Amino acid sequence: MRSLERGGLTGRRDSVTVPREVDLSAVRPYADHLGDGLVQMSFTLPVPYSLAVRKAALELAARIGFEEPEVVHFEELTEGYTYFVMYGRCTQTVDFAALQGEGFEIEYMSEDEIERFAAEHLARKVVVVGASTGSDTHSVGIDAMLNLKGYHGHHGLEGYHAFETHNLGSQVPNSVLLAKAIEVNADAILVSQTVTQQNLHVHNLTELVEMVEAEGRRAQMILACGGPRVSNELAKELGYDAGFSKGTEPQHLATFIVRELAARVSAA
Amino acid sequence: MLLSDLTASARRLALVGLAKNTGKTEALATLLGELRACGRTVGVTSVGRDGEEHDVIDARIAKPPVLLWGGSLVATTDALLRASGLPHDLLDQTDVRTPLGRVLIARLRGAGAVEVAGPSGAVQVRAVADTMLAHGAEQILIDGAIDRRAASSPDVADGLIMSTGAVLSDDIEEVVTQTRAAVELVRLPTLAAEPEHDARLGSLAAAAGGASLLVGEQGDPALLPPRFALSAGARELGALLDEHPDARWLMLAGALPDRFLRELVTATRQRRGRRGGGDGAALTVVVADDTHVFLAEKSLEWYRRQGIVLRVARPIELLAMTVNPVAPESHSFDSAELRARLCEAIADVPIYDVRDPDYFALAK
Repeated sequence: MRSLERGGLTGRRDSVTVPREVDLSAVRPYADHLGDGLVQMSFTLPVPYSLAVRKAALELAARIGFEEPEVVHFEELTEGYTYFVMYGRCTQTVDFAALQGEGFEIEYMSEDEIERFAAEHLARKVVVVGASTGSDTHSVGIDAMLNLKGYHGHHGLEGYHAFETHNLGSQVPNSVLLAKAIEVNADAILVSQTVTQQNLHVHNLTELVEMVEAEGRRAQMILACGGPRVSNELAKELGYDAGFSKGTEPQHLATFIVRELAARVSAA
Repeated sequence: MLLSDLTASARRLALVGLAKNTGKTEALATLLGELRACGRTVGVTSVGRDGEEHDVIDARIAKPPVLLWGGSLVATTDALLRASGLPHDLLDQTDVRTPLGRVLIARLRGAGAVEVAGPSGAVQVRAVADTMLAHGAEQILIDGAIDRRAASSPDVADGLIMSTGAVLSDDIEEVVTQTRAAVELVRLPTLAAEPEHDARLGSLAAAAGGASLLVGEQGDPALLPPRFALSAGARELGALLDEHPDARWLMLAGALPDRFLRELVTATRQRRGRRGGGDGAALTVVVADDTHVFLAEKSLEWYRRQGIVLRVARPIELLAMTVNPVAPESHSFDSAELRARLCEAIADVPIYDVRDPDYFALAK
C-alpha cells in the first residue's frame, strides 16, 4: 500500500505552467504550485475491499469531474466497506474577485485588543447569556465560547475582564433562557444549536427570536447563534445578528459582540 | 379575485409561512407580477433573505427569483444591491446592520432580479416600510422567513398572507390540522368579544405600562412580577390565584410561552378541585397580539377545553392564504384535494395554489 505522499503525481505535474501570482478571478485548489488544481478527498464505498472497488472509485472521481484521478490509499473499513483517499485535478475555477467586498469579511481583534476596545467604548461589563436550547444536548460549542478554558488555546469569554458570562448549559427552553437574559440585563444572547433539515431545530432558533420580539427587547439584545451548519446567510433567515460556525474561536465572537454593542451605544 | 386584489387594502402587507418551503417567495413573486401589471409602485423588504438561488439549509432546493422593475423600492443590504447589478437611486442609508451587511433603501431604475434582505427586527421593519411609503411606494410587501411571525404583528403590518404546504407533514390530515391551528391563532378574538369589559381592560393595560396584571371584575388589579410568564410555575400561579379568587383576566405584556400555559392548566385544575368543580374559575389570558403566543404540542382548542381562553388586544387581518402541495425532495399532494380539505376546515379566507392552472385561469 502506498503512503499518503503524493510522489506518484510529480512527473505529470511538471508539464503544468506555473503561475507566479494568484488570478483572483479564477481561483482553483492549490497543492504543490499555484494553479495545479490538486484536490485530496476521502470517502467510503459500501462494497467489499477488492481491486474492482478501486476501479469503481477511480471511475466515480472521473465522473465527479476530476482529471487524472488517483487512489493513494484504500483499505477495508469494516466488512463490506472500503475507505479511499484519492487525489484528482480540479478543472473548475471560482471567481473570488467578485466575492470580495461583499461585507462578509470581519477583522478579528486579539484578546488584549478586545479588552482595550471594551474599556474605551463601553465602560462596563458586557453581559452575555448562552445556552444550547430545546432538545439539543450538545453543550460543547457553548462551553468552548463561554467557559474560561475556551477553545484552541484561546480563553472563553468568561476569562475576559470585559465580559460577565452566564452559561446555562444544554436543553434549555427558550423561555428560561430569555427570562435569565432579562433578569441579568443581558447585552447578548448566544445560542448553540445543531441545525438539521428537520424543522424542529430551525423552529427552536426562530422561536427565541420571536420571544425576544414579543418581550420588546429585540433592539436591545444582540442575538448570535452558532452550530456546525450555521452561516451568516442562515443567521439572517433565522433573525439573528450573526451566525458562527466551525472554526470560530472565542475572540471572533467577542470581537463581534463588543463592536456591535459599541455601534448600538453610539447610535442610541 | 387575485392575490393582489385581496390584499390591496393593506398598505403594509406581511407574508408569513408556517415553515420553510411553504411557498412564501412564490406567493411574493406572483403578487409582484400582478402589481407590476396594474402599475402599482411597490416597496419590498424581507425579514430573512429572498431571491437567493438555493435554499440555505437544503441546497438541492432551487428558489424563485424576486423580479422587480423600474420605479420599485427595495430595502436590502449594500452588498446584495451591488450584486444585483441593477441601476438604482439610493434613498436612505439605514443604521440597520445584518449578518449580510448594512441595509439600504433604493429606488430601482431598471428591471431585474435582486436578492432582498432587509431588517430582521419588527421595529426596524416598520421603520423601513414607512420610509418606503414616504418615498412614494403605494404598497409595502414584507416577506417573512422560515416560520417567523414577528413582522406580521399589527404593530408592523396592516394585513397578512399566510403560506402553508405539504412540507408540514406527509399526512394530508396533519397538514390541515396544523394549518387550521395556525389560522385560529392569527384569528384570536379581541377584547371586543367581551364588550362589557373591553374599555376597562384596555385602560388598565395602558396604565400598567408594559407590566403584566391579574384582573378581577371589580377592585384593583394585581401587578405581577417581571418576567412572570417566562418563569412562573404552577405552584406560584396557584398561590397567586388563591390570593385573588375573583381573578378573571391575566393580562400579559410580553411573550406567552407554551410552558406557562401548561403550568396555568395545572394551577387552574387545582383551583377548580379546591372549589369543588364548576366553571366559575375560567381564566382569560390577554396578550398584545397573536405573535406573542408560542404554542407547542397543545392547540388553542385544547387549552380552551381546560378552561383557558386567549384574547388579543389588537388583531391582524388574514387576507389570503397560499398553499404549496409539494414538499421539496420529499412528497406531494394533489393540489385540488389539499385546497378542498383546507377550505373545508378553514372558513372565510381564499386559499390559492399560485402555481396551479386554477390560479392561472383566475388571472385570465
